[in-house]
Amino acid sequence: MEAIASIKPETAHAVDAAPAVGPDATYINGSHALMRCLLAEGVDTIFGYPGGAIMPVYDALYDYQDQINHILVRHEQGAGHAAQGYARVSGRAGICLVTSGPGATNLVTAIADALIDSTPLVCIVGQVGRKLLGTDAFQEADVMGVTMPITKWNYQITDPNEVPEILSKAFYIAQSGRPGPVLIDMTKSSQLELMTKPFVYERCQSLVSYRPRRIPKQEQVEAAATLINSAKRPYIFAGHGVQIAKAEAELIEFAEKTGIPVATTLLGQSTISTNHPLYVGWLGMHGNYGPNVMTDQADVIIAIGMRFDDRVTGDASKYIKQAKVIHIEIDPSEIDKIIRADAPVVGDAKEVLKALLPLVKPNDHTVWRNEFRKYDAIENETITVPELTSLDGKIRMAEVIDMLSKKTKGEAVLVTDVGQHQMMASRYYQFRRPNSLVTSGGMGTMGFALPAAFGAQVGAPDRQVVAIIGDGCFQMTLQELGTIVQNKQPVKAIILNNNFLGMVRQWQQLFHERRYSFVELQNPDFITIARGFGMDGQTCDQRDNLSDALDTLLAHEGPFLLEVIVEKEENVFPMVPAGASVSQIRLK
Amino acid sequence: MTTYTICIFTENTIGLLNRITIIFTRRRINIESLTVSETERKGVSRFTIVIKHESREEVEKLVRQIRKIVEVMAVFGYLNDEIVYNEIALFKISTPLGSKSLDVETINKKYKAWVVYWGLDYVVIEKTGNDTDIFEFFGYLKQYEILEFVRSGRVAVGKTEKGLVEYLPEAEWAYYL
Repeated sequence: MEAIASIKPETAHAVDAAPAVGPDATYINGSHALMRCLLAEGVDTIFGYPGGAIMPVYDALYDYQDQINHILVRHEQGAGHAAQGYARVSGRAGICLVTSGPGATNLVTAIADALIDSTPLVCIVGQVGRKLLGTDAFQEADVMGVTMPITKWNYQITDPNEVPEILSKAFYIAQSGRPGPVLIDMTKSSQLELMTKPFVYERCQSLVSYRPRRIPKQEQVEAAATLINSAKRPYIFAGHGVQIAKAEAELIEFAEKTGIPVATTLLGQSTISTNHPLYVGWLGMHGNYGPNVMTDQADVIIAIGMRFDDRVTGDASKYIKQAKVIHIEIDPSEIDKIIRADAPVVGDAKEVLKALLPLVKPNDHTVWRNEFRKYDAIENETITVPELTSLDGKIRMAEVIDMLSKKTKGEAVLVTDVGQHQMMASRYYQFRRPNSLVTSGGMGTMGFALPAAFGAQVGAPDRQVVAIIGDGCFQMTLQELGTIVQNKQPVKAIILNNNFLGMVRQWQQLFHERRYSFVELQNPDFITIARGFGMDGQTCDQRDNLSDALDTLLAHEGPFLLEVIVEKEENVFPMVPAGASVSQIRLK
Repeated sequence: MTTYTICIFTENTIGLLNRITIIFTRRRINIESLTVSETERKGVSRFTIVIKHESREEVEKLVRQIRKIVEVMAVFGYLNDEIVYNEIALFKISTPLGSKSLDVETINKKYKAWVVYWGLDYVVIEKTGNDTDIFEFFGYLKQYEILEFVRSGRVAVGKTEKGLVEYLPEAEWAYYL
């Protein structure tokens, strides 16, 4: 027999339309099966964009319009970020529905963002028919291959009978353990073909090979409690995991009983009200002065649902060498990944805190806590007060956020983009309610805020959602203004316009001798653009008008865009320069 | 550089090999050899991956990242003295008329290798053993004309008394290698 030197491809044929079946038929096609799965999972909203390889699903969706609200975005990336915003405020998986090839690849940024920020997404993506796979067919891309490293799980459906099982697995995997994005690549043939057995949907409760530990091991909890009880200068780092686990109340109860000061990460903000006496500020490159400096003074660090990102640790080799580390995490691969844990506790933050609570002794670390306040005074004097009160020059970002915070009483959901405005929003907004900051932390995706704010408004219709956006970021996804207007969502967007890619410019100023390399923007008239989309807006460039402008924004019934012209060359401080240790934090 | 043998027990699904190798690629760890087969339990695959690394800590992190993959049931990282392991090699040796004759007795008795195929003017010799054994035999065969040489990846079983598959129902998260 001759060796096989090459394989002759069989001539591929496009799949013809399958017999029409209604939603109530016994033997339904893959698309209708998909719809029934979504309903069984309680899905009420889909963010999507149709196209060739997903048309059978859209055809089925036509029959389900009364039960599922499909939101037509303007670009698939917008669908992804909107689903993220929805998921972050609602705690439920955001659903994206897009076509094959470019539809799927446009979703990639949002998927990567969702993975690193632990956001549950179920992305359903069309794919060419079974027989066309691997033939370089029209709009065929290897989406399984592309998304493998950026999804928690992905799967290609080629047989309609697989739909119920795979969808139940997808929802379970996306929403359990450390949440994350899953992707289902659904061949057009599997959307069209009839199932050969009756549709039955069972919600997935467990998987053989995937069993996230929610309830911690008692000996790990006890080891942690022993360390906490003997600590002289204990310090809590509360990360995003606390809010994902809905453990805000447990965290506060734990902190109040033990008297331990609480700092948050960027994504952990709003876990605890900023006026809580135990709250000391937030950690990281542009976090508060005290929380960063004091990490070097603590003897026990209690890290809850956070992953010691390099923006928090600075130079990790010099980070908290003096302290014992208790690392409470649901994802075991995070333990010892960056910082060696002396007492790891694997489990859901809520369950771990509940288990810890009876074991820790009441304490009062007033003297230790007061040390933070010394640094607060320095930060206030050198940065905060001057930024808020100096009347020279143009409006500062800090003033806008501070005023917004007061006018919304710290009750809004803040959705921020990436850059200086993001850091300023975090520094100056006084969060009063949990789950109130939606931002792209790990991936730092510019263009995140506008679509995410839209999704957040859909997911939290009773809350006021305010997007804080830079002029650079806005131009990455501004087409989603159309989605906001068409769906009549009262999103309030504020552009802090300094005509610069501000954060990059700041780095160029501080570390590259002011060699401003391609950071200045010639911007369009943002308000004209908003009006073109049918959205009201106004520009504010005078300090005296800022209060009125914010009132107009917040009181407006529908969506509104406020552009604030801010100081061009403002810098964000404090700052831990990249690669420096936290003790090298700069105040100017 | 220390040699580590990583044994991964997984569900048998399409694309999983890709998902696993991505974890090595992203950390710039080169795979020395890789073998995949079904285990004594149906539907459970066993990957045996050999790597060389100077940092045990990094290998521990690697093992954890592999464990994180949804379809992965269990992962074990072993040092050489913790496993029984073998490879198989095939040598295609040219034996035209008038060439130096093969010393089959030495090949059998000294090197524990066997001629498994007699061609018209070549033979195929099979040798199992660890990489040192195989390269020693390779050195011996150099006196002949080696037409082709191929070596399999390592297969290994742990030296613990339990069968590894017995761990699977419980598949507890193992903190350390």
